Amino acid sequence: MRLSAHLVFAIATVLTAPSAWAEGPKPQAVARQVDRLIAEDLDLSPGELAPPIDDAIFLRRAHLDLVGVIPSPEEVREFLTDESPNKRRRLVNDLLQRPEYGVTQARYWRDVILSRRLEDRALAVSDSLVRDLAGWINAGEAWDAIARRFITARGTARTNGATAILVAQEGRTEEIAAEVSRVFLGVQIQCAQCHDHPWDDWKREQFHELAAFFPRVGVRPMRDERPIDLQVNIADRPDFPRFRKGANLHRRGRPEHYMRDLENPEEVGERIEPRFFLTSLEMNAGTRDKARRQALAEDLTSSDWFAIALVNRTWSELVGEGFYEPVDDLGPEREPVAPAAVARLAEAFADSGYDLRWLHRTILSTEAYARQSRPRRTPDEKPFTATVVQPLRGDQMFDALLAAIDVDEKRLRGVGAGGRQRGYGIVTPRLLFTQAFGFDPSEPRATVQATIPQALARMNTPQLNQAVRALPTTMLDRTMRRNGRDTEATVRELYLRTLSREPSDAELATVNEYTEDAIWRGAAMEDLLWALINSAEFSHRR
Amino acid sequence: MNAWRRVTEIGLARRGGIASRREFLRTTGAAAAAGAMIGWSDRVGLAAETLRQQGKRCVLLWMQGGPSQFETLDPKPGSRSAGEAGSIPTAVPGIHLSENLPELAAAMGDLAVIRSLTGKEGSHPRAQYLMHHGYLPMGGANLPTLGANVAERMASEQALDAARDLPSFVRIGRNPNGGGGGMLGVDFDPLSLDDPTQPPRNAKPASSVARYQRRLRLLDRLQSDFAAAEGTDVVADHRKLVESASQMILSEDMTAFDLEQESQAMRDSYGEGKFASGCLLARRLLESGVTFVEVTLNGWDTHDDVHSRTKDLTAQFDRPAARLLADLKDRGLLDSTLVIWMGEFGRTPKINARGGRDHFPKAFSAWLAGCGVRGGQVIGETDERGAAVIDRPITPEDLFQSIYHTLGIDAEHENLTSTGRPIKLMDKGALIPELLG
Repeated sequence: MRLSAHLVFAIATVLTAPSAWAEGPKPQAVARQVDRLIAEDLDLSPGELAPPIDDAIFLRRAHLDLVGVIPSPEEVREFLTDESPNKRRRLVNDLLQRPEYGVTQARYWRDVILSRRLEDRALAVSDSLVRDLAGWINAGEAWDAIARRFITARGTARTNGATAILVAQEGRTEEIAAEVSRVFLGVQIQCAQCHDHPWDDWKREQFHELAAFFPRVGVRPMRDERPIDLQVNIADRPDFPRFRKGANLHRRGRPEHYMRDLENPEEVGERIEPRFFLTSLEMNAGTRDKARRQALAEDLTSSDWFAIALVNRTWSELVGEGFYEPVDDLGPEREPVAPAAVARLAEAFADSGYDLRWLHRTILSTEAYARQSRPRRTPDEKPFTATVVQPLRGDQMFDALLAAIDVDEKRLRGVGAGGRQRGYGIVTPRLLFTQAFGFDPSEPRATVQATIPQALARMNTPQLNQAVRALPTTMLDRTMRRNGRDTEATVRELYLRTLSREPSDAELATVNEYTEDAIWRGAAMEDLLWALINSAEFSHRR
Repeated sequence: MNAWRRVTEIGLARRGGIASRREFLRTTGAAAAAGAMIGWSDRVGLAAETLRQQGKRCVLLWMQGGPSQFETLDPKPGSRSAGEAGSIPTAVPGIHLSENLPELAAAMGDLAVIRSLTGKEGSHPRAQYLMHHGYLPMGGANLPTLGANVAERMASEQALDAARDLPSFVRIGRNPNGGGGGMLGVDFDPLSLDDPTQPPRNAKPASSVARYQRRLRLLDRLQSDFAAAEGTDVVADHRKLVESASQMILSEDMTAFDLEQESQAMRDSYGEGKFASGCLLARRLLESGVTFVEVTLNGWDTHDDVHSRTKDLTAQFDRPAARLLADLKDRGLLDSTLVIWMGEFGRTPKINARGGRDHFPKAFSAWLAGCGVRGGQVIGETDERGAAVIDRPITPEDLFQSIYHTLGIDAEHENLTSTGRPIKLMDKGALIPELLG
């Protein structure tokens, strides 16, 4: 009897779903170990450390990190008045069970993969990537199983989000190999594409041996599909009628990979057999695509670098700095800061069964995560004495804005009916916003700069300015009605709603003074709300 | 193309925040009249402005979709490739252009036409990327586009601080694969305009100028709590950004975007249509100190009905382009302004069953003018069918070497990727000496 694929998936999900986190390494215990190892590795003394963050900042951070949105004023108040000692741990567990958890992580990976797309056509995979990956993450699928899906993907962009890397790299053998290595191992072996790497031990041959796992993959646009869809094509039949070259090669694939002779670039070059540079995996020419990619996926996802790469990326997002920087440039020749700490965290993550929730639970339990921020350190200062303020990613900013002005995304024009069909997919307000405010999360965060058009969009977009006005149906109008003549209550609520904290006395005084000068209180409150959503604190994770 | 970011527009509704022209003027005009500036930094001194005027500038007239060389710069009268358009003599004896380009034919004395461009990229996105960056997309290297490189090099050579009101790189018209500042950072991203007759998006305060300035002061005071310790650097950057954005939109220079400052006669002389307005706007922006302006004409992907579609498109650029050259010359700016006309590739000699021409990177054409380029000449030659280059093959890389050289930019200059890998502005190709003498 053959089980349907859906049923198999459902059973697998049940089996891999975290029944409890009793098995495997305990997050709290590993968090304490990691903190201790960092302190030892870096010889940190308590005097150097930034103070711990208060509950309000922890709440906002955990919300942005896990579910991609800022907490509501009610959630802030409730959390601040909760007396129980375990409230942070309970909050993290609650957030990890929300469906937004998977969606937020999936959007991060969409930005990682699609920021490096070679053509805009690859945007066809954007929606399915978020949809499928969010589903796998929420179902508790292990990170190694997810990575194997991406490496061995088949099907089309719109039906299988795991085709994202193949689609973003247009089916180009060498680019796919480079990107699989960068995304899942953090190893940038592609620099060895044309010459032996100047400061790594990778040899040109090793890069092409990795590429030799992918030559049979091609990606071609499907005829007459609207909206556009792209199909993964497998070239398992011997090349007939001719040896594919150029665009045809990327679209349809070729049975084997060839390394060009740099002296004679016009020639096809030498045929290379698949070998994986981290293990002893070798395969013969003639091996079918499925066997090649499955073997590579098995070996790659069980290597140490696979665990280190994910742990390092996640840590960097959550604490503001990775053990290795940039987050996608690791390898045996690189010197991490706090080597014992990153090794322990990666090892425990592997022991947990590559459980993403386990990793978030663990890092959010460390002291390193719960320290106040300081400006990004200079090279001669010690790492991890404080966290670093992070700019919000496009989706976080979009959701934060909607939460701040209390507007439901479904009510925005162009969303209900699925937006307008244009270009390579459905154009929604969210998409436009994230394209305008998004950035490549693999780039060092210090290089991510806001732009003048972004600042202008935040300050002057007519729709946003309508939303901050005290007109019937706006959040501000409702808030002012509720609080009547009590302006301070309105001010406090606006602070809770935008910055997820109470205003300081100095801030209250500033606003008070401003209100007294205003023609009417409503105008002053409009100006305050405008200033809050245009502040650096609003668009960053403090 | 690596950036997830494209054109900045907030989609909280279908219409972007374009103010009506009249209102836009009233605001900027009022601000300018009141001399109202956010008072944290001094305005650019006149000396710096003058210095900028002495620098070189560049206009890229970008033909999106791949213009047919047969109906424009490389007519083949009497051959099977010719199609229906004839050719006409130009102001330079012995040189003919397509009959679709009477105005440029008259301006031939200023043009250097290249008929022997040759490349391998036949897909729109890659070819567009190549003809904007001089490179194909490279994993891990976020390459700056031509406009960004030119703007950055000019700014560095003139040792100007970035405190100026207008951006140094403006792109008029949509162009999804045109690229941006890349590893040079957002300072060299283009300010993009969809419509040359409208001010840039969100460039109008949503309230009166006086209230806008009150709001800015409130914002500044409320940032101090976060700036005190944790967000010192973040708030400093943010304040600078808000300041330069506000400075830009309240600046008198914003009137450069207002075509109605020009006389009716001047506007008429450029001809009709968006591209014509774009060319006039390009001239106004260059005069206001912008270094690089790109004006896009869309619709060149003529897989069907090439004859009438090309006729329509040439009518949209022939006069504006010729007029732009003459206008720059009248103002003494042509000697220091390089004008480039090109698309991502050419079209096939063979006319297909739908009366169209398909993609053809193997042999195509472009022209350059100004900035010391020797006009009145044709460089390179294709065979009688236009199917192959038979003399002086020129690669996209050669063209980029020549563009940088003409603008006085060292193409050997290296930018660093985020992983510290140096990448030259142009690492292949060679200068086309005929261009300059």
